Amino acid sequence: MTALVIAQLRERRRSLLAWGLPIGLMSAFIVAIFPSVQDALAKAVSDYPPALKEAFGISELSTVEQYLDAEMLSLIVPLAAGYLGVRSIASALSGAAESGRLDVLLSVPLSRRRLVAAGFAATAVELSAVLAVSLLLTLFGSLLGSAGLGFGPALAGFANVWPLALLFAGLGVVVTGWSLRTAVVTGSVAGVLVAMYVADLIGRLDPSVSGIRYASVFRYYGKAIEDGIDPLAFAAVTAAAVALAALGALLFERRDISV
Amino acid sequence: MLAIETERLTKFYGAERGIEDVTLAVEQGEVFGFLGPNGAGKTTTIRTLLDLLHPTRGSARLFGLDSHRDSVAIRGRLGNLPGDFGYGRATSGYEAVALLARLRGIDGAPRAEELARRFRADLHRPLGKLSRGNRQKVGLILALFHRPELLIFDEPTSGLDPLMQEEFLALVREERERGCAIFLSSHELDEVERVCDRVGIIREGRLIAVERIADLLGKTQRRVSVEFAAAVDPADLRAVPGVADMQTEDGRISFRVTGDIDPVVKAIARHPVADLELSHPTLEEVFLTYYEEGAN
Repeated sequence: MTALVIAQLRERRRSLLAWGLPIGLMSAFIVAIFPSVQDALAKAVSDYPPALKEAFGISELSTVEQYLDAEMLSLIVPLAAGYLGVRSIASALSGAAESGRLDVLLSVPLSRRRLVAAGFAATAVELSAVLAVSLLLTLFGSLLGSAGLGFGPALAGFANVWPLALLFAGLGVVVTGWSLRTAVVTGSVAGVLVAMYVADLIGRLDPSVSGIRYASVFRYYGKAIEDGIDPLAFAAVTAAAVALAALGALLFERRDISV
Repeated sequence: MLAIETERLTKFYGAERGIEDVTLAVEQGEVFGFLGPNGAGKTTTIRTLLDLLHPTRGSARLFGLDSHRDSVAIRGRLGNLPGDFGYGRATSGYEAVALLARLRGIDGAPRAEELARRFRADLHRPLGKLSRGNRQKVGLILALFHRPELLIFDEPTSGLDPLMQEEFLALVREERERGCAIFLSSHELDEVERVCDRVGIIREGRLIAVERIADLLGKTQRRVSVEFAAAVDPADLRAVPGVADMQTEDGRISFRVTGDIDPVVKAIARHPVADLELSHPTLEEVFLTYYEEGAN
């Protein structure tokens, strides 16, 4: 199985450039310009309507960590990483079915469960690598702009995205148990990703419907760059991702391999 | 031991028929041809044997093992070339061989290189940059490099040039000599006729015939064309049982014979014969005959 994980990672090495580079450069830019926009930001935020600040979890933007969280880690990075997660697992399973590769891989003594496990493990490593590249570029941007971003908070902020993105990969495995069309897998899970984000947002904006936030993984995402990682939420979301992948593996085992 | 044994193997896609009640057996060391036009159920049968599709009912056993329950153990002993071979555009044949060899727990490089030389296959270029025929060669190498006990080929010579088709047929004979069972699905009747010991004909999802090639060609219709030294009334021959489709042209009488040839030879021998041609049908003609009979 390790051989399959390594082979899949080798094939996806370009995603470090395709995903890690843009996310990292964008974050680096945000961090690097912070010292020059810091004062203007503080004034602008103080004028924001309270409901807007509550919705986006903005209390103030007086530190580079708060600014990075508001600009990148509360929306762009989790949505992008979540999409990368499902795209990656879809490439390993439904994409492989569409290209004919799955027929070849399932001609060797490899169970479908192990095939799913290898794809999920490769996705987990790929997400880690993309987030690590993004983190390193962001820290580099902080150095260039003398923004003073702390390594610990930045690490916590980016690391906290990993279980969330992995959850959508796990959801992708479940959908693969139903359809082996990549467009269906990525499209439906991306829809759930956006729906969960919007549900969490609405729940925060309107306290009367705050209950819907429990249906969203973003409810458990938090602000790790400011508050540190919540170990319980981190472990629970990771466990949920693994459980979804395991359920998906069972469904995948029972389905026909035909696109 | 039987390499493949199916018992009323049936696969429906919802309400749509894939295959129905397919019962067949392939022995070790046998080349079994599986014939049928597109959509007849050849690929569905193969994919069900390989546990890629789960049967609606019936069973399939390979090496005496259940095709679903024991699929991992079975796949350690077989090689498969899918009908529409694909792998990944960026991957080279060499990388694919290396991965599959590791998954099989063997060193596949020496045999893969030997096969690559034989098929003149380029294992170093990405598959996406190879022509269809050259990709097919890589597919053949992936199916063969681990010296399996059973080979399942779905349209294996598709895209191969005539020289490589010959090389493939030679390899099939060698594998049979080695004791390997080969399940060869094809609509290239010529290659089936040349290498297969037995053939199964599938029509609209049902296996309508399983025969030895020699029996199949021998017991069906023959074509007779005879030129007599003097004028002969064709009615003398038309009256012989089994004679049909008689045509007369320039003193030559041509007709088809179904069944026993002996009464025909005796009827002809009553007259002085100038020339006589007796030809067996090609497998293609036999195949079409089965199809016409099945349709009727």
